[in-house]
Amino acid sequence: MTDHPLILTARMHAHPESSHTIATYEATGGYTALRTALDMGRDAIVEEVKAANLRGRGGAGFPAGVKWGFLAPARPAYLVVNGDESEPGTFKDRQLMERDPHQLVEGTIISSLANEVNHAFIYIRGEYPKSARRVQAAVDEAYAAGYLGANILDSGYDLELTVHLGGGAYICGEETALLNSLEGRRGEPRLKPPFFPAVRGLYMAPTIVNNIETLSNIPWIINNGGNAYSAIGPEDSPGRRMCSISGHVNRPGNYEIVEGITWRELIYDVAGGIRNGNELKAWVPGGASAPWFVPAEHLDTEVTKAAIDSNGSMTGSGAVIVMDHTTDMVAAAERLVRFFAHESCGLCTPCREGTTWLDMILRRMLAGHGRASDPDVLYDVSDNISPGVTWPPKMTTICPLGPSAVSPVASLLKHFPEEVAAAVERGTQVPVSIGIRS
Amino acid sequence: MSEPAEFVTIKLNGEEIQAPAGEMLIKVAEDNGTYIPRFCWHPRMKPVGLCRMCLVEVETPRGTALVPSCVQPVADGMAVETGSPVALKAQEGVLEFLLVNHPLDCPICDRGGECPLQDQVMSYGPGESRFVEEKRHYEKPVPISDLVLLDRERCILCARCTRFSDEIAGDPLIEFQNRGNGTEIFTFPDEPFASYFSGNTVQICPVGALTAAPYRFRARPWDLLTIESTSPFHTEGSRITVHASQNQVLRFLGVDNGLTNQGWLSDKERFGFEFIGSPDRLKMPMIREDGEFREASWGEAIGLVAARLKEIVERSGPDAVGAIGGAQGTNEDAYALSKFMRVAVGTNNLDAQLDDGLNPDFLVGVGSRARIQDLESAKTILVWSADLKEENPILYLRVRRAARELDATLIVVHPARTGLDDLADHKFGYRPGDGADLLADLAAGTQDYAPALDALQDGPVVVILGRTGLSEDGGLAEAVASFARDLPAASIMPIVRRANTFGALDMGVAPSLLPGRIPARGASGAIIELWGKVPATRGLDTAGMLAGLVGGELEALIMVGADPVRDVPSGSKAADALRAADFSVAIDLFMTDSAAMADVVLPAEGFTEKEGTVTNLEGRVQKVNRIVPGPGQARPDWSVLDGIAESMGSPIGLPSSEAIAKEISTVATAYEGVSWDLLEGEAREGAVVPIGDVRQPLEYIAVNAEQPARTKGLALHLARTLYDDGSAIRHSLSLAKLAPGMTAGLSPDQAVDLGVEAGDLVTVSIGSVTFACPVRIDRALADKTVAIPFNQPGIETLDAAASVLVKAGGSS
Amino acid sequence: MTDTARWSEESEALAESVMAKYPQKRSALMPLLYIAMREDGYLSEAGMRRVADLVDLEPAQVSSVASFYTMYKLEPVGKYLVSVCTSISCWLLGGDEVLEAVEASAGVPSGETDESGVISPEHVECIGACGGAPAVQVNYELIEGLTPKKATELVEWLNAAQPATLNGDEMQALFGGERSFDWAINETNDATGPYPAFQPHGTIAALDRS
Ligand SMILES: Cc1cc2nc3c(=O)[nH]c(=O)nc-3n(C[C@H](O)[C@H](O)[C@H](O)COP(=O)(O)O)c2cc1C
Ligand code: SF4
Ligand code: FES
Repeated sequence: MTDHPLILTARMHAHPESSHTIATYEATGGYTALRTALDMGRDAIVEEVKAANLRGRGGAGFPAGVKWGFLAPARPAYLVVNGDESEPGTFKDRQLMERDPHQLVEGTIISSLANEVNHAFIYIRGEYPKSARRVQAAVDEAYAAGYLGANILDSGYDLELTVHLGGGAYICGEETALLNSLEGRRGEPRLKPPFFPAVRGLYMAPTIVNNIETLSNIPWIINNGGNAYSAIGPEDSPGRRMCSISGHVNRPGNYEIVEGITWRELIYDVAGGIRNGNELKAWVPGGASAPWFVPAEHLDTEVTKAAIDSNGSMTGSGAVIVMDHTTDMVAAAERLVRFFAHESCGLCTPCREGTTWLDMILRRMLAGHGRASDPDVLYDVSDNISPGVTWPPKMTTICPLGPSAVSPVASLLKHFPEEVAAAVERGTQVPVSIGIRS
Repeated sequence: MSEPAEFVTIKLNGEEIQAPAGEMLIKVAEDNGTYIPRFCWHPRMKPVGLCRMCLVEVETPRGTALVPSCVQPVADGMAVETGSPVALKAQEGVLEFLLVNHPLDCPICDRGGECPLQDQVMSYGPGESRFVEEKRHYEKPVPISDLVLLDRERCILCARCTRFSDEIAGDPLIEFQNRGNGTEIFTFPDEPFASYFSGNTVQICPVGALTAAPYRFRARPWDLLTIESTSPFHTEGSRITVHASQNQVLRFLGVDNGLTNQGWLSDKERFGFEFIGSPDRLKMPMIREDGEFREASWGEAIGLVAARLKEIVERSGPDAVGAIGGAQGTNEDAYALSKFMRVAVGTNNLDAQLDDGLNPDFLVGVGSRARIQDLESAKTILVWSADLKEENPILYLRVRRAARELDATLIVVHPARTGLDDLADHKFGYRPGDGADLLADLAAGTQDYAPALDALQDGPVVVILGRTGLSEDGGLAEAVASFARDLPAASIMPIVRRANTFGALDMGVAPSLLPGRIPARGASGAIIELWGKVPATRGLDTAGMLAGLVGGELEALIMVGADPVRDVPSGSKAADALRAADFSVAIDLFMTDSAAMADVVLPAEGFTEKEGTVTNLEGRVQKVNRIVPGPGQARPDWSVLDGIAESMGSPIGLPSSEAIAKEISTVATAYEGVSWDLLEGEAREGAVVPIGDVRQPLEYIAVNAEQPARTKGLALHLARTLYDDGSAIRHSLSLAKLAPGMTAGLSPDQAVDLGVEAGDLVTVSIGSVTFACPVRIDRALADKTVAIPFNQPGIETLDAAASVLVKAGGSS
Repeated sequence: MTDTARWSEESEALAESVMAKYPQKRSALMPLLYIAMREDGYLSEAGMRRVADLVDLEPAQVSSVASFYTMYKLEPVGKYLVSVCTSISCWLLGGDEVLEAVEASAGVPSGETDESGVISPEHVECIGACGGAPAVQVNYELIEGLTPKKATELVEWLNAAQPATLNGDEMQALFGGERSFDWAINETNDATGPYPAFQPHGTIAALDRS
């Protein structure tokens, strides 16, 4: 891993006390990429980002340069930076915003330039006031220094950048829900088709939505070239990415990794192994919506997009949640399902009703009222949300949130049928109807 | 709108079919006989694809995918399976999810028996619920307005009601609240769902979550008899179904006549049915004797009326008799009145309008008449008429749609705030009386008016015109029509009050016209052959007749479904006239204020009790039908008039409603070919007269609006509200309480001038009438103006004068 | 639209500047809701009516948006909103026990407010502090690496000290443990109510909530 220099967290490691200030940022090469980009012009910027093969870090992993290429020609166009980070296990964007906000601001300005955007927004979840303060301070400093506002650095290019605070809703991380929220509406996802942001996004205008981490890479790519970036790590998912590790490990935290190591290396070397010398039982490889991995099958597979995909899960938001042998897997599944049920926007039927139903069944099992039919019902309800219970998921829903709740249930049924059976066994077998709701 | 559709070929369940490109799959399937279940999709609203009931399997380059067919446009080569095992499994799954929280209280639900959810469960649903947890609980039905109740446990969150209220009606007063599994439909605290269109949500709610207070628990769907008919409340001629049980009319529902109401109704026309079964309906003829009414037989009553009329005609000549009314009944009734006055009495003294409309010669002579459908393709719409939301709510919805969905430029001219102001690209207000100046400025395109004039050069233009208020001179609307005539591709839609005024005018209920819009002077042809000689001199209009009664030139007045005391702008003058009349007779449904002053009152059959035709504001003729008998001995107007004529010895020979319809189609050229058969068969959406695309030239030369002299006081803007103290509403218990009541609308500055604030009492003097009422602030009003709602409960008749005095402090 | 009661001069000015930041004024709805909360300590009906007036919506549309998000409190809450994360990573490391401790020392269950109106415990879904689990926020200022014992002490301290403004670094030092990452920089915060201490376009003086 040390073969490649740190990209995203280099400055905060070198200047722990002041990495968030404009003084430190400028003293360490900050805003030179912006000057370069202003000279390059937008086509050349897009080319570099394409060459970098920088994949989105928000969850779907779509290459940023390709996404920019899809932006419809109508103007005005908008850029919206997704800082809603709410997927359980994920806390990387918070670090990037708190510790190196100028890197994000510079990346945002360059990306706006590349996409002929004159008004960009950074949407930060409401529960991140510190991130919001730091990013706003950086934005204020950037305006004062002439990096934002009218006629940036005498280039003739204008950009307004507005920091917007969410109100507490995970679904606003989904890009179209985020746009609704930014328009002052309920954070309900829009239908895709026809509302692809690149064509009909914010205010029905062409819009780019990128994640905080995605855009934090842009200054480095402009300074060092897209090819330098794509030379790092696996060809299909190059560069460095943030990996949030949490749960039963000795050293939880954010790690800026290069893909290609194994899960064993990540969990035991990078994150220091399992607490109290316990045994690893399972882990979530890419955020709460990702199907689980288990040691017997996956510990020596690679942490690369290609390997994770082919093993039936996803890189997602890059969050790894590690569970040791003491974990009650039915309870773990319930915790995950509970989250999605709580965060369902309620717009479409299968998600609104299905996620809650799954959670109610799991809670009833945990309360000692499991029924013999529960495993079948869990599976079939899952099937009605995500037909076939396959990966990647098919959906009867508007957006992937509903199928996200199916992941933990499917993982539980697949990897831990004996724990499910035990929970049913503990049940009184008396048909009861109990009212447990979140 | 009607761009030539491009067709694509798709495979629907293995069969190749043609479909217009871009049309949603659910619609294409339905048009080809395949019904895909749905809850949120509604053909008149934008698809939202949220209930997920309509999932079908579509072949894509990446294998088959489940897609909601309500938001999936068809594309060439698309292969669709609507009933494959995967699609059916998905549909059953969604249905099961919907039932998870739906109470199974169908036996006590108003929707039971006509519930799409219930039907869906029968055809697609799982047999038995696997859901053993506890259902969502909410307080059982809560009233969210005076007319609508909401049962949130039954709601399946399809968002039809919220979308209708927001998108179609423009009253976003009910919305999703909370989120996820806790999502519910609700209003804001203390802000009821007070929309003029709220009843539509009850009709389109696919379950029994929204119910109508006037219909609750009144009947079960399987007990109901149903017929189709035409709404009697607004000139738009909404298509409705009437539902009755045991000779009681229990509800009206909107029918989607694409050309008029598109399925929607105003709450007035939906819940106004209550007047039909009112216990106050007249059941027997009544004769005044020693100042008191007593019941009489038809024979006696008709004999008396015939004798008195004959006596007056013989003594003072036929022109001593006059008739007002005919706009509330059928064309057949109006035709009978027209023929009765010309043939049995021998006068042209008759008028269907109550001094609140437009000159009939203008109305029948105005060229380039617009159809409602023209609003769909209009680039620019000028509305210079009464507030459509209050008086023509269906037209209001159509103009709203044109401005909101179809991007028409909307120009509104009105002295006060109107329901369309928020959507208007240009809104011009003026002090009542100054309309002609404004028109001159608009026509000249001076300063503020230049952008609007520019927009009016961008045709097609539709101009909706009429009297903005009851105290405004009708000449202004005529002047607007002359201006409009020269706009590019302009069509004109004049509007007047009362549902069948256009029908009555077409039947010759006007001082100068015979049936078929033929001028009375110099009439010839079929009508003369049948009617014989008709009087040639122009008769008196309503104002003239009322003045004539006071002045003594007129001695007898016949009122047919007309209540001049309540309904003409200067009701107090009508009361004086009735007091002065030697003889007056009222044919009506109720003992109206005017009938109470008559010598003879005859009970008439009303809407749903008789058959016939009506004509809407664009000339569309549609049928009305009978489903219940009239109360007591009530008879249709035409039959009463026929009886009187017979008894006078001058028979008019009208044996039945259908026979009258046949006679109309022979004597009134425009109505040639309009038979009941046609209207019940081929022309179920109505036949527009003149049939075909004939556009009449504007023969009538409009007058220049007169400026009423105004010396002192404030200018009066006197306007109707949807709910008022009219007899239909007064006798519809659910609606009667909704009349807003008397207020004095003032501009903010005017209020400051008078030293009053919203809610303060003021004393208002109009002509000879003085009353006290609270102040209402209307920012759209000009200074030196007061806006008064017409015909409000508890206020005696008005005496509409051009100027009004308003004083702070209330005493009356 | 009716004329609603205006807020303080300062809030009205702030509202105006917020609306100017967006191409369409409805976009200012969410920031305006925070201003309304600062005015009244929670999102009152009057506050929502004012917001409706400012952005030209019906009040039902405003409450529709407000009630979608968890951070807009439609009922009054205590001086300190103590949000305990019980999502997966915190749960794995004792988040439920921390919640129990907070509820026990506040004397009321999650979602309610103690009698003196000081503490409102609530359980929340993931707050992005999984590396420092279990985590708690007080008026959205974060403390990571709590134990049930430390959580009890936190509530006791809040009750006793009742600080006018909250400082996350200070609370972390007093009651926290392991963090998701090095926060590095000390700062003074002004969290004063059940809304995030972030004012994008200027500040409102801390409101006295007597
Ligand atoms: C339910 C759901 C939640 C999401 N949450 C987030 C999030 O919190 N942050 C984020 O950047 N992307 C999130 N995404 C992904 C976004 O929709 C979008 O793909 C992403 O912001 C694009 O940025 P990228 O291309 O830079 O990754 C979420 C997606 C879904 C379906
Ligand atoms: S009340 Fe009826 S129309 Fe409205 S969302 Fe619920 S089910 Fe649909
Ligand atoms: S009818 Fe298609 S999703 Fe509701």
